Amino acid sequence: MGTEALQRLVEIANDPYGRLADLRKRKKVIGSTLADVPEELIYAAGLHPFLILGTNEPISHSAALLPDNSCSLARSNLELVVGYEGDFFDGFVFSQVCDTTQHLSDIWKRRFPDRYFENFLAPRQVDRPSARDWYAQECRRLRKELEKYAGREISDEDLWQSFRLYNENRSLLRTLYNIKQEVPALMTNRTFFDVVKATFFMDREEHNRLLQEVVDWAQGEKGRYEDQDGYFKLIVGGIVVEPPNIYDLIDEARGNIVGDNLCTASRYIYHDVDVDGDPAEALADRHLRKPHFSPINEDVKRIYTDLLDLYREKGAETIFYVHIKYCESQDYDLPDIKKRMREEGIPLLELETEYQTTHIAHAQMKTRLQAFCESVLGRT
Amino acid sequence: MSEKVQEKKSAKELNKILTGEYLQDARTAHEHGKYIAYTTAVSPVELFVAHDIIPIYPENHAVACLTKRMGAKLSQVMENRGYTSHLCAYARSDLGYRVTGESPMGGIPDPDFNLACNAQCFTLTKWFEVLSRAYNVPIFVFDTPQWIRDPEARKEIVKYCVQQLKELVAALEELTGKKYDYDRLREVIKYSRDASLLYRKFLDMAAYKPSPISIFDALIHMAITVYLRGTPQCVDYYQTLCDEVQAKADQGIGVVENEQFRLYWENLPIWFKFRDHFNLLKSYGANILSSLYIHAWSYEFDCDKDPLETLAENYVSVFSNVTLEERAEMALDLFQRYSMNGSLMFVNRSCKAVSFAVYTLKDVITEKTGYPALIFESDMGDPRFYSETQIKTRIEAYLETLQGRAAQVA
Repeated sequence: MGTEALQRLVEIANDPYGRLADLRKRKKVIGSTLADVPEELIYAAGLHPFLILGTNEPISHSAALLPDNSCSLARSNLELVVGYEGDFFDGFVFSQVCDTTQHLSDIWKRRFPDRYFENFLAPRQVDRPSARDWYAQECRRLRKELEKYAGREISDEDLWQSFRLYNENRSLLRTLYNIKQEVPALMTNRTFFDVVKATFFMDREEHNRLLQEVVDWAQGEKGRYEDQDGYFKLIVGGIVVEPPNIYDLIDEARGNIVGDNLCTASRYIYHDVDVDGDPAEALADRHLRKPHFSPINEDVKRIYTDLLDLYREKGAETIFYVHIKYCESQDYDLPDIKKRMREEGIPLLELETEYQTTHIAHAQMKTRLQAFCESVLGRT
Repeated sequence: MSEKVQEKKSAKELNKILTGEYLQDARTAHEHGKYIAYTTAVSPVELFVAHDIIPIYPENHAVACLTKRMGAKLSQVMENRGYTSHLCAYARSDLGYRVTGESPMGGIPDPDFNLACNAQCFTLTKWFEVLSRAYNVPIFVFDTPQWIRDPEARKEIVKYCVQQLKELVAALEELTGKKYDYDRLREVIKYSRDASLLYRKFLDMAAYKPSPISIFDALIHMAITVYLRGTPQCVDYYQTLCDEVQAKADQGIGVVENEQFRLYWENLPIWFKFRDHFNLLKSYGANILSSLYIHAWSYEFDCDKDPLETLAENYVSVFSNVTLEERAEMALDLFQRYSMNGSLMFVNRSCKAVSFAVYTLKDVITEKTGYPALIFESDMGDPRFYSETQIKTRIEAYLETLQGRAAQVA
């Protein structure tokens, strides 16, 4: 598989706490949860932003802190820090997008009284001018709080430099995503999304360096994989795809993901931050350009129109919707999404997932996916 | 008019009359050139009242369904349509009503506009989004960031909320084609202030020993301030209620004979077990006096301030939108002011907004008060998730523990 750089990125994506165990020796590590914390600010403060994406270990440590019908991702994140990797972090910046994340913030803060903790109160509506003003204001507040914690001023130049670095990262990821879509035989879905995932954990400069090598390699190699027969194009909808072996199942079925609205993919890699003007407003402008995110209110039809647009624009055959178990936001959206897709005659497969998916659940998902591909898409 | 002096109506009678008139107005709104807005129980409803828009609360209608034990049936209708059984029981029964038309009170009119204030919860936003798609009407989310304990951040949060309320006013002007009348809004807020102060006075009568009220009285009487605040009738209602309860307090009449245990309740009630719980507790000389939930409508509007600012400050700081630390302090304040000596902590599987903090709140309250607390899980409206024997046994065992402790102290 590919280059050494690619190998390294994939390893980090699959074992971030093991492979990056020495991170804290170089910088203070600030953990965040999905979604929309402006990492660029944390980086510009000389700190290391690190996205917490749960653990696949069974829930035991966090069971007494959150009820069992709370979002699987929230419980899993809490399990990870309370049970396993609490010492990995110097502090946390949390965004609140729903009831669960709001309460998780409080429970978390109480659990780690000795760590730096800041809330990032992202607007939960993006339909009106006040949302832009508020996002920018929260960026200004976070900037000040980070300055206090880091003990240094964050200049506008620091921020613009950070924006450039993150823009470069997003641009490289977009290029690689395009190549993967165009030449699916070159790179599996799993590998591509692992490369994206590695960026949530790694030093951004190092990620850019390795990513540039991967992009160069992919550009050079793609001509050798002209035969694209046998793949079907699909759109993936949702927030996050975990556990990542869901991508493996899609790969086994020879699905080629050609579009998504995931927080851990397109919502993260599309759209750059302007590197002139007021930095907080530039971050707000990027925020408002992002694809629809289920908990954030805007045009209520975007729960399906974004997916429909992607489906048509990309010439996809189907949509897979990844549903995090007990994600209340998705629970309210899904019946209307399914109804609309039925009306449009678009085949949609819902994949309900838990971070702690067992082998049995995984086998069931595999069977469902295969059955769907055979009976609905006519693939054998 | 007859020579006979008209007898003053009791609060109970007024409750019935006011509710009937309110529903009648709502059902004939369009005939009188008025609009219907769905809104959340905690929301700046004064903006509607001052603009001839009748607020309707799907939550209140849902409570009526749940109290009549329709929760499971309506919920199953929605489960068959792909909604899961762990969503808010209000939302499930309301959406079930939309499909079946079944209602214990003849239904509620359809919306022209939806307002969701997320200080109350996030669920309402998503539930109202479903309704906005179904009725093809606009939704306005009044986004209230968590009321974190940072004075500078709070100033900015209020500014953001005021900016949104201006956006809401513009949306209402567009809906009705009428210019907004801020003088009328000031008048409406005064009524809200007066009603809220009286409502709080009523709730605070739980401090008397024995208490002339229980939480069950408060749950019945809070309905008027939820849907009629901002009107003079609402002020009169709470004045009548306060006079009645004060008279009982003055005579030393308590709702529970030989009151021994004065309990705090965490969360919303289990609507369909209302009376059973009251009777069970009563048999042990126990009374639930209060909860943060019923205090959610104890606003303190400052009529000297800009009307939008005082609305923003009050609605953003409701108990469900403060930090867990501050919420625990608010609960402890009630605990101390009402001399309580026990807590029933309900983890309500269908209200995540209120329930996720309950485990931690229980730790704080037992630690700070020294009184044990009972924690149990169930659902506020769906009997399928209520284990009769188990919960009854646990409540009895808890009350016996309190009795044992009381005997030791004696």
